[in-house]
Order: sequence, then C-alpha cells, then structure tokens
Amino acid sequence: MKPQSLLQLTSQKCTIGCPILDRLLYGGIPCESITEIVAESGSGKTQICLQLSLHAQLPVSHGGLAASSLYLHTEFPFPFRRLHQLCLSFRSSNAHHFPVNDNPCDRIFVQSVHTADHLLEIMSKTDPFIENSKNQVPVRLIVIDSIAALFRSDFDNTPVELKRRSSLFFKISSKLKALAKRFNLAVLVTNQVVDLVGPNEGINGLRIGNLGCLHTSGRRVCPALGLAWANCVNSRLFLSRNEEVIREENEKSNGQSCDFVKKKMRKLYVVFAPHLPESSCEFEITREGLFGVER
Amino acid sequence: MEIWRLPISASQRGKLISAGYTSLSSLSSISSSDLARELKVSESEAMNILKVASHSRGSETSNASCSIVEGAQSAWDMLHDEESLMHITTSSADLDNILGGGIHCKEVTEIGGVPGIGKTQLGIQIAVNVQIPNDFGGLGGKAVYIDTEGSFMVERAFQIAEACIEDMSEYNRFLRKDFQECKIKMQPQDILENIFYFRICSYTEQIALINYLDKFLSEHKDVKVIVVDSVTFHFRQDFDDMALRTRVLSGMALKLMNLANRFSLAVVLLNQVTTKHKEASFQLALALGDCWSHTCTNRIVLYWNGNERYAYIDKSPSLRSASAAYSITARGIRNSSSSCKRIKMM
Repeated sequence: MKPQSLLQLTSQKCTIGCPILDRLLYGGIPCESITEIVAESGSGKTQICLQLSLHAQLPVSHGGLAASSLYLHTEFPFPFRRLHQLCLSFRSSNAHHFPVNDNPCDRIFVQSVHTADHLLEIMSKTDPFIENSKNQVPVRLIVIDSIAALFRSDFDNTPVELKRRSSLFFKISSKLKALAKRFNLAVLVTNQVVDLVGPNEGINGLRIGNLGCLHTSGRRVCPALGLAWANCVNSRLFLSRNEEVIREENEKSNGQSCDFVKKKMRKLYVVFAPHLPESSCEFEITREGLFGVER
Repeated sequence: MEIWRLPISASQRGKLISAGYTSLSSLSSISSSDLARELKVSESEAMNILKVASHSRGSETSNASCSIVEGAQSAWDMLHDEESLMHITTSSADLDNILGGGIHCKEVTEIGGVPGIGKTQLGIQIAVNVQIPNDFGGLGGKAVYIDTEGSFMVERAFQIAEACIEDMSEYNRFLRKDFQECKIKMQPQDILENIFYFRICSYTEQIALINYLDKFLSEHKDVKVIVVDSVTFHFRQDFDDMALRTRVLSGMALKLMNLANRFSLAVVLLNQVTTKHKEASFQLALALGDCWSHTCTNRIVLYWNGNERYAYIDKSPSLRSASAAYSITARGIRNSSSSCKRIKMM
C-alpha cells in the first residue's frame, strides 16, 4: 500500500454541455465520485442524463471525457426518440469532432434494469465489459436513471426489510465507487422525491444538505430513499420546477387578451457537494437540450 | 545497554539478536507469549528473559522511577505531558474554544453528522492545519488521509491550503516586524504533498491499511494526524453477523488508539448518522451502534440549527458539554458570521 500523491491526482470533470451550468458545477460532473440528481418527474433528470452521455464523447480538450457511456435505465420506455433528437443537434454543433458517417448514439450502451439484484448482477459484469472494451472508445461514464424506481416497490415497511434495503444501498454505492475509482469513471444517478407532510423540515425533522427545504411545483418535497442513501452519494443536485405567472411583455400582434401567461421556471440547486458552495442556477429545456439561463 | 551484556545463556542471546532485538528498550513493550512465539522457546523461558532484562534496565536507570509496571506513569507526569502537547486548530475560534484549543493529540476524536453538514470539509481543514509551522502555533506535521467514500476533492484541498497560507501571511504582517526574516516559504503544493492520501474501496482494505499504518508511521515520524473519512461507509453492508462487525470495529478502534498514543498524533474519525428505532419513534444517532460509542475518546456531533451549522460535544472525558456555531466558506471552516452569542455552555 502506498499513498497517492495529491498533485498527480487530478479530478477530471465531464461537461454537461452548457457553459453556464458547467460554471455552476466547476466544470461538470466529477470523475471518481457519485453525483445524484433529485427531482420530481418531468423536471429534466433524464434530459441531463442523455445530454451528459452525448457530451462525454467530446475530446478532453473540450471538457468531455473522450469516452463512451453505459446507460442503465429502470423507467420504461427508454427515450430513444429524444436521444436521437439531441444527438442530431449535438452532432451539428460539434461536427468537426466526428467523422461524417459517425453516429454518437453508437457509443451509448443502453441496458434495462428491473430489480436491485439485477443491478448488482449487471455491475459485476461491468468490470470485464469495461476492461475488454479497451480497443474501442473506453467507457468513462455510468448513468443510472433512476435508482429510486428499483427500491420503491419491492420492500415492505418493516425494520428487517428496511435494514436489508439500506444494506443494499451501501453495497451498490460501494460497487459503483470501486468501479469509478478503478476506471476513472464519472457516475450519475437520478432519484425521485417524496412529498413532505407535517411541520418539520426533512424526514423526522432532519435536514440534509445546505438547503433547508426543497420546493417544487409549490410543494415541499425531500429526496426519496431516506437518510441511508443520502450517505451513499458524494454530491447531490436538485432540480425544481415551478409555474410562474408572468405578464406577457410584447402584446400579441393579433391583439388577443392573452395578458398573462404561465411560464415554467426551472432551477438547478447544489444541495451538497464536497467541492461546491451552496448555489443555484435557472435553466430551460429546449429542443436542442438543457441550458442554463443567466439573469 | 546492549543485549549481549545481559546475564542470560549464550543461545538465548543468539536467538534474541537474530530475532532483531538488539537493545534492551526493544524488549520493554513485548509480552512474554509474543516473545516465546518469536524466539520459539517456552513461555517460562521467555518470561525469565524479560525478568532479567527488566532487572538490568532497572539498575541502569537507577533514578528512582519506582513504577510497578514498566512504562507506567504518574498522573502528574501525564498532566505535564498533556500540557506540552499541541492542538490542531479547526480554523474556527469558536469551535477551538469548546474543544479546549482544537483537536487533541494522543486522542481519538469522532465527528459525525448528516450528509452535507461539512464532515469532509472539517477533515480536509484538519489535514491542512496540522501543517501550520511551529512558528505560527501549529504542529508542523504531516497528515494521513484515509478516504473510504471518494469525497476528497483535490481542488477543494488546494483552496483551503491557499487560504491557510494567506492567513499565515496576514498574521505575519500584523504581529511581526521582521517580515522578511520569517517569510512563509510554504506553497499550497507543499501542503498537498504532505497529505498522504489513501483511497480505500472495501472494509478488508480499510483494516489492512490500519494494520499497515504501524509500519508506515514508524517510517514517517512527522505524521501528526490520521483522518478517516468515513470510518463507517464500508461497515454498513455485507455484515449479517453484527457481533462479528462489533469485534472487527473494536479491534480497529483499539489499533487506532494505540497508534495515537505511541506516535502522539491525533486520530479523527468521521462518522455518518442513522435513525435509531427507540420507544416507537425514530431518533438520530451516530452510526455503528452502541458498542462503538465507547471506543472514541471524544465525540462531536455536527447538526443544523435553523440555517446555521453547529457542533456539539457529545462525549469527552475532559471537556464540558457545549455547542458552537461554525460556517463553511470558500476559504474553509470559519467562525459563524452571525453576531449573536455563539457559544453555549451547558
């Protein structure tokens, strides 16, 4: 056993494809650590995942990892059409990095996962899979979308079952971290939210992370899977979605009485991360992908 | 005094020397059964050797150290020793205040709290602060950082190291006229170089590393702190037999305590929190169970109070229960910025 020199230990980051969001995250999603994105459905979790697995293919000089990615999805169906759409705009804006007949989708390996045990089984096969793919573009990114779907039905609400569940969390997390360390991977997982009832902050009055309360769609929520899973991730990001009524600035040309329109306000928050301060950034989702908005 | 002058048989002497025991002091801390195993002699013979050795050592240092057992110290001496020991500052004066000056050497300090409260930040801060030179009231030592979770970020350590050096220059400018003379030659790179970083991926590795530290520390005598971030992570899976887990953990804690004492360094263990089912309600508790809570000398719990981070001394043989606010800034751990009374003694 030998200590590693910190000067040679560079924490590489993978761009998520938007300079504003990259700046918020000090360069993107870090390698050799687990980053979690928490949000209610329809907030843009999957969008970030898809966008990241495309941008991981960019050369290192452009903030990517020059690598292919492994995409494990537990929610069905896999959004192939959206991936294809994003792929087209990704290719046209980064055409000089890719040969003419090259399709970036070829470097995203998609695998469906049905149960937690299935996930463990897949991860044990991931080792040889990554090792043997040395001659091709190496895998440097694992996405799990979403981890919560595996755990929200199969377990009863009894102490024994909950203990088994949290033990599985730590097992999955340590396998992921070991993979990340061995192959210098970035790991991105998504998680769902649960509604928060009662007067307290967080579960049992327990506050996790920098943000006292997470609000989305006007409701108070907290990340699913509880405290045990919160211990398993290195960084946690939160996406909120709120409908905001704003006054339409420009009167419509046909003079309709559409003075007020509803607008979706999306925000990305850093809940906790070892290298990031408490911060947030607004973003929007367009046909071309997910982009930060500077105010 | 050398082994060859001991009044024992020549064959015993030969065995001792070939086993690597060349001086009397090397025999002072070994048990008779260990010695018997190592020299392949009977236990009574080994006991005899030790008796002769301790006798001749006694006559050699005849300055009336009337201890009953070898290595025993009087409480007065211990107090004297303790007062001469330095503390590692946390960079927050309030936190140092309730800790009695900072993190203590020769003790095991456990720090626990929810994710995002700043355990890793405090760990990195301590690994940097232990290197503050003696001229600035620091220990001028090095650090061993054992990372089990992968949360150590080099860029963050670099930031904290930079801020630490800036603070030292400030101190220099205000309090010393001879600025040129003791100009700080330290660079953030040097600070990072003096943190021995180990990344651990399983609990077997963790135990193996802690066993190996003994050898590592005897080669690196200037290490003054061991930070384990976190001690818990790999012990919360794969253990069906909780009794086994408790035994493994106790053994590990004992080793760490031993290291702290022998090399007079501070051991900082970071722990997670878990919910504990008690009387039909859930309460927060530090992880690893009741037995583990006996193993650490000091226990500090970090928690949120409103929008402020607080540290609370949960257990300590020498400090009173107290809590203090702190904050995490771009420069590292600092005092809380709010002006209200921050320290609460209980």
